[in-house]
Amino acid sequence: MARARLGLGVVLLLAGCATAGAMAPSPAATPTREVLPNGVVLIVQEQRASEVVALQLWMRMGGRDEATDELGLAHYIEHMLFKGTPTRPPGSIDTLIEGFGGTSNAFTSYDTTHYDFVVPTAHLRAGVELLADLAVNASFPPEEIESEKKVVFEEMNLIEDDPEKFLLRRLYEVAYSPHPYGRPLLGRREFIEKLDRDQLRRFYRKHFVPKSMVLVVVGAAEPALVRRLVEATFGRVEPAAPSRGATPPVPTFGPSRRVDVRRAEKQAYLGLAWQTAPLANEDVYAVDLLTSILGDSPSSRLNQTVRERLRLVATIEAGYGAFEKAGVVTVTARLEPADLDRAEAAILDVIRKVRAEGVTEAERQRALITAESSYAFDIETAEGLAKTYGQAETTWTLDNELAYLSRLRGITAAQIQAVARKYFGDDNYARVRFVPGTSSR
Amino acid sequence: MTRLVFAVLAAGLLAAPAVAQESRERLDNGFTVLVRENPVAPVVAVSLLVKMGTRWEEPANAGISNFVHAVMVRGTAKRTGAELAESIAALGGKLNAKGEVDYSEISATALSRFWREVLGFTAELALEPKLAAGEVDGERDWLLGRIQKRRDNAPARAFDEFFAALYGPHPYAIPALGTPASLARIDHPALVAWYRRFYQPERMTLAVSGQISPGEVLAEARRLFGGLPRGAVVGEPSRPAPANRGERRTFEQPAQQAQILAGGLAPSLDHPDHAAVKVLSTVLGGGMAGRLFVELRDKRGLAYTAAAYYDPVVDPGALVLYLGTAPENATKAEEALLREVERVRRDPVGVDELNRAKGYLLGRYAMDRRTNERQAWYLAFYELEGVGPDYPERYRRAVEAVTPSDVLRVARQYLATLTTVVLRPR
Repeated sequence: MARARLGLGVVLLLAGCATAGAMAPSPAATPTREVLPNGVVLIVQEQRASEVVALQLWMRMGGRDEATDELGLAHYIEHMLFKGTPTRPPGSIDTLIEGFGGTSNAFTSYDTTHYDFVVPTAHLRAGVELLADLAVNASFPPEEIESEKKVVFEEMNLIEDDPEKFLLRRLYEVAYSPHPYGRPLLGRREFIEKLDRDQLRRFYRKHFVPKSMVLVVVGAAEPALVRRLVEATFGRVEPAAPSRGATPPVPTFGPSRRVDVRRAEKQAYLGLAWQTAPLANEDVYAVDLLTSILGDSPSSRLNQTVRERLRLVATIEAGYGAFEKAGVVTVTARLEPADLDRAEAAILDVIRKVRAEGVTEAERQRALITAESSYAFDIETAEGLAKTYGQAETTWTLDNELAYLSRLRGITAAQIQAVARKYFGDDNYARVRFVPGTSSR
Repeated sequence: MTRLVFAVLAAGLLAAPAVAQESRERLDNGFTVLVRENPVAPVVAVSLLVKMGTRWEEPANAGISNFVHAVMVRGTAKRTGAELAESIAALGGKLNAKGEVDYSEISATALSRFWREVLGFTAELALEPKLAAGEVDGERDWLLGRIQKRRDNAPARAFDEFFAALYGPHPYAIPALGTPASLARIDHPALVAWYRRFYQPERMTLAVSGQISPGEVLAEARRLFGGLPRGAVVGEPSRPAPANRGERRTFEQPAQQAQILAGGLAPSLDHPDHAAVKVLSTVLGGGMAGRLFVELRDKRGLAYTAAAYYDPVVDPGALVLYLGTAPENATKAEEALLREVERVRRDPVGVDELNRAKGYLLGRYAMDRRTNERQAWYLAFYELEGVGPDYPERYRRAVEAVTPSDVLRVARQYLATLTTVVLRPR
């Protein structure tokens, strides 16, 4: 289960910031974006870091596009796509990719789903053909649908057994319900148990249309060749109208959205969530830096105050889930049950202090370096770079992505303080606490 | 939606292979610098390898190379360990040090505009470690904890027991972490002496990969490392040859799964048989299409994990076949494993299977060299192993040239005598 990770910008635009030992600028490495006649968006970038190519199919479709009686379908389809097509029997797809020495993976989030291959360049053509085949010809073999149920239940168990993952899952549910961002991406057991082939096929045919497809190809491959391969495969898919519906407005967070859950763990877990800026919002840059300053590293404010000085928590961190239709900043901590109230008060104090006094220039600088470094190491591989492009194209825009780091650099300490004041109140948050006791799940 | 068959008519215009710009220089004092310019992302990775590791150790001081590095990162002449960590974090990077079998490594990454700073911290750690007496006991306790953790972990324990049985009197028999008895014996003067003996310029290779200018990096490396005087020559260790006596050892410990390892001694990296044994290892245990996975897991459900390992080292390596399975299946799984060994030593591998194995092997090799961190390590490692910068291309060609009769020949040779370790849950 993936939360949207905020994409950061392309660093080549920061050439002017290089300090000592500045080198000659790199050849302008930017992606090309084009829309094929049937609506498929193709993003290509030649990147010769190694002799592999990343192929990613991003769908403008995710958990939020499910009807209330379809919860879990987007994720289930993610599992089923690798199970076969009329020309590829079950098991053969994994073996094919592995035989190339490549890897395959897939992810479902609220706004998107994506299917990823990394293959040695020699297998580019076979990879594009396979991805296109999965995108329109998935056959959903009935026996595979049944056996995959066990795998999905196992995935649900894994999330429920992992208190940190389950805390976030419950926090989103409590904060957003009944908005789609509050739903379980894996669906509910009772529904998955009865899931049948027709439901899957209907959902697949409705959503896997060219206008919802974004194909990203990054790696050691000639863009002209890539274009030809994609035109001969994805370019031939019959056009159809996309069926993405409107998303309801996001609810207000507040004291009515607070839940305590009894769990088997001996330690307690605390999760707080504030409604902040969605992706397209101008505040996204300042919120990103604020989140980093609050809780992104051992030297962050929450760590220094609540963990190091007050010793109220064993771990604490802040995260920013930036989605297309909403943004949420979460603060999560593991702690002794007796410290729950004091820790929550201390977290609110830390945020109050930022609202009142702002952040320091050193903190702003450190947050920038962290953002820049995290992005730079993400894009050093073909698949990492492809992911930032796919995410941006489906939930934001490619241009916003390319400008992200330079926009981030322009944010002042005063702007960071301003978003703290705008979004973070003493009472406008949702809360989930895991407390030891007989499990009530 | 009608079904489409995707057949692309375009001619096979495969892209030219990536061309890396690599520079190599041996300084007057014997220190080697390798630089690879990789413009794709604004990051830099540094790998400093030193010829110092298990190969030079004896049972009495096993683990000393790794122990030295654990104490090194606790501080330099200029700053404490915490200050060093904070300084590196401010460059958007990280820094690590450890001892391995054939080498020890200081590795670091950072945003590439801080390449000069990260190179400076690497040199500071390598050349001016404080090695404070007060840090020794704490680090020893921490290492003893790691040894215990490894012993409690059934697969890790099984591998350690396997190498002990396979290598006998050779130093590869003992884990790089050492043993509780050896760590107890190693004191502060021993650590300092070990550091001084091995941290000599002619034993060190520095590799840098990233968005950097090779000329500038070479000049800075000369400035940082060129002033070191040559040290006393440390001879190659004269060690008893490993003795694979074909033993079968069994152990018990609390665990859920049974662990089964069988294997033999295998060629070193520069040996003419290296590529053929890599292919053999992949045919048997390379991923989900490897024979062990297909036969033992898919078809018979006799194992949960089924794989083969063969990592290159300077002295003889080890080809290890590995199964993790439910205790009630252990006997049958071991029998089935031995049948697969018999089969690969009796019948030549089919052409399709051979090609799949080569594709998997070379694909994984390309996949493993994607990041600058791995690129820097590979550069330094191949230099240290003495196989030269064109090794990846020679290796690729050698793998492609392997025939079914090569695989049969090396299977007969290297899997003739099997050492076996079985670890059962208690």
